[in-house]
Amino acid sequence: MNPYWGKGFFDFFLTLFSRLFIWIRGEPITLVSDEVQLLVLSGVAIAASSVGVFLILKRITMLANSLSHTLLLGVVLAYLFTFSTLHESRFIDVKILLVGALIAALLTTLLTQMLTHFMKLQEDASIGLVFTTLFALGVVLVTLFTRSSHIGAEAIMGNVDALHPDDIKLVVLVCLFNLVPMALFFKECRMITFDAGFAKASGLSPSLFHYLLMVQVAATAIGSFRAVGVFLFLAFLTGPVLAARLWTQHLSSLIFLSIGIALFNTLIAVAFSRHVLTYFQYPLSTAGLVVTSIGLFYFLSLVLKKIWKSKFKNATISL
Amino acid sequence: MPSFLDFFLDPILRAPTLGSMLMCLASSLIGAIAFVQRRSLLGEALSHAAYPGVVLGVLFAAVFFPEWEELLALSILIGAFFSACLGLWVIHKLQRSYRVSNDAALCLVLSLFFGLGILIASRLQFTHSLWYKQIQIFLYGQAATMTDVHIGIYAILGLVILFLLYLFYRPIQAISFDKYFTESIGVQVPIFESIISILLVLSIVVGIRSVGVVLMSGMLIAPAIAARQWTHKFSILLILAGAFAVCSGFLGNYLSLQIPIWFHLPNLSLPTGPMILLTASFFCFISLLFSPETGLISRCVRMISFRDRRYQENILKSFWKKGETPLTFREIANREAIPHWLMHFLLYRLTAQGWIVKTGKRTFQLTLDGHQRAARVVRLHRLWEVYLVDYLGQHAGKVHRSAEEMEHILSPELEKELSELLKDPKQDPHSQPIPSIKEIL
Repeated sequence: MNPYWGKGFFDFFLTLFSRLFIWIRGEPITLVSDEVQLLVLSGVAIAASSVGVFLILKRITMLANSLSHTLLLGVVLAYLFTFSTLHESRFIDVKILLVGALIAALLTTLLTQMLTHFMKLQEDASIGLVFTTLFALGVVLVTLFTRSSHIGAEAIMGNVDALHPDDIKLVVLVCLFNLVPMALFFKECRMITFDAGFAKASGLSPSLFHYLLMVQVAATAIGSFRAVGVFLFLAFLTGPVLAARLWTQHLSSLIFLSIGIALFNTLIAVAFSRHVLTYFQYPLSTAGLVVTSIGLFYFLSLVLKKIWKSKFKNATISL
Repeated sequence: MPSFLDFFLDPILRAPTLGSMLMCLASSLIGAIAFVQRRSLLGEALSHAAYPGVVLGVLFAAVFFPEWEELLALSILIGAFFSACLGLWVIHKLQRSYRVSNDAALCLVLSLFFGLGILIASRLQFTHSLWYKQIQIFLYGQAATMTDVHIGIYAILGLVILFLLYLFYRPIQAISFDKYFTESIGVQVPIFESIISILLVLSIVVGIRSVGVVLMSGMLIAPAIAARQWTHKFSILLILAGAFAVCSGFLGNYLSLQIPIWFHLPNLSLPTGPMILLTASFFCFISLLFSPETGLISRCVRMISFRDRRYQENILKSFWKKGETPLTFREIANREAIPHWLMHFLLYRLTAQGWIVKTGKRTFQLTLDGHQRAARVVRLHRLWEVYLVDYLGQHAGKVHRSAEEMEHILSPELEKELSELLKDPKQDPHSQPIPSIKEIL
């Protein structure tokens, strides 16, 4: 029995905190679907917004967008190499997904760099060409492979309701993969992000960092693959970071603030989706709700920032 | 099995084929403009930004005019147009007023609008599940279900785009290459920029029906990239891009039906959108590899032939410096940093072309022709050294390296100019004699 059944927006939080309290007291509880959703989405939020900080500072978010597309081909290729067929198992094996993500990340980054360096193409044009081609190849291969021309839209939109407690493990893994190198080499990451030339001169390798970042993005995309779909995690990458960027100038507080904003929006969205289900009797896409809430949050903070600024200006003038 | 002609005549095949070709034409022309303006990824953001408009358009048609099917296409078009315009405005605003970097603004708008679309679509999924299918089409595109109504709408929109492009060709061309100069001669740049943006949105709105939201950006730039490899002229670029796009529009439709037949999967048809895009990017990669001027292969050929010439002339130079004495293979090989197998080949070529002759077992000597050519190379080398020292004021110790390169590049005309400018010097900066012009002729 799901304790969240029939709860509204605020009752959701009450139930959540009371269950959290029970859990802290050490009594065993079984995770219900709302909590699985919340945990997976929070994991994705943490993983994506921490990587997103570096993507935005290095101005390569469109490369992440390109990766989110090519992931499809990576997964298909991984399946081809492991000789299994897509329609046999409805549940996609995590290991294959991770291998696929790795293939996709390396292939995309390599091809894009090859086009810019050897073929002398503009960078944005080569990004656009590579990811659309690889995505189209992925779609065609899936069609040939599964012998049906109906491709599941789930890859794009995700399906939060189909989440399984096992997904939490994957997401936690991805979080660790993103956060641990960042925490260990925080100083190096900061140096490379802000002054790649200086970092290179002091013996670090910016290109290694670039590839690591791309692999992390791919891993994050895989983590969010089943929850929010490969495209909506882009909102997690950019939205919270841009919102946090309005309020802070320090890298470490930027990371923490954007993770906080992402978590806050996740919580709101999950509660709201339950609210709508309770009072209006239809399920809304939780992923869509998260993204919309991030968008609203960002535009709200833009407005707030503007008000803040004008107040500050008036104060200085009156002084 | 349908023949080529059937794709234009058969009532079922006609609509998707013609529709795709028209759509590809329109999008490639606008895409070419976006490409030369270095805004290739704008299309990616705008095509995703059109998605909530598609959903709202379907919703509008479903709620108010459920029986009138022709209206559906129109209301989707209008919805998509306005939502893409809104996306464009938000991107513009974020970049100008809030100093968000270009890529972050694109990525944010892309994901936010797409998320909003998915949110509304999920609401529709349970109340209007039949209409929901209509929305799904726009993700990957589906040319097969297009009807003659679509052809009509797309033909009109395509013609509008072509007409506007024809009308404003001059200012658009000028803006694409030098915005500030164009502004300074009194052209209203903002007006034309918004016309270009609206054309971009229009072509995306036309395109997403057959290629899909996800692949639309590729369809915009792929023909332009392919065309760019063959020409430097804007007008020819547009024509070529259009031609590539129309070809890929047709071939995409053709192959999506033919490939399953080749693989003996008779009941399958490959999705048209991805096939169109794959064809277009096939053209692209062919152009990137084989185009005569910028192609990778031709650049490699040019590089190899220059290196070949450099090796040959360096070998001849080694002979010349030894005077009349013949050299053995080992002596030559020790002078040049060339692998032995390549040295064998080069010596064979030089012998066959008559620059050197084989005088004994593994010994070679310059012929008269070879002597002249070597003397010319040495003359060029030393002339260039004199020029660098006398005219550019470089130190005599540093000029050798540059001269090693230039001796293979300088043409006879340049040689004449140089010797006139330097008044036919007799000695180089290192006090070595420069072979006179008579020695070469």
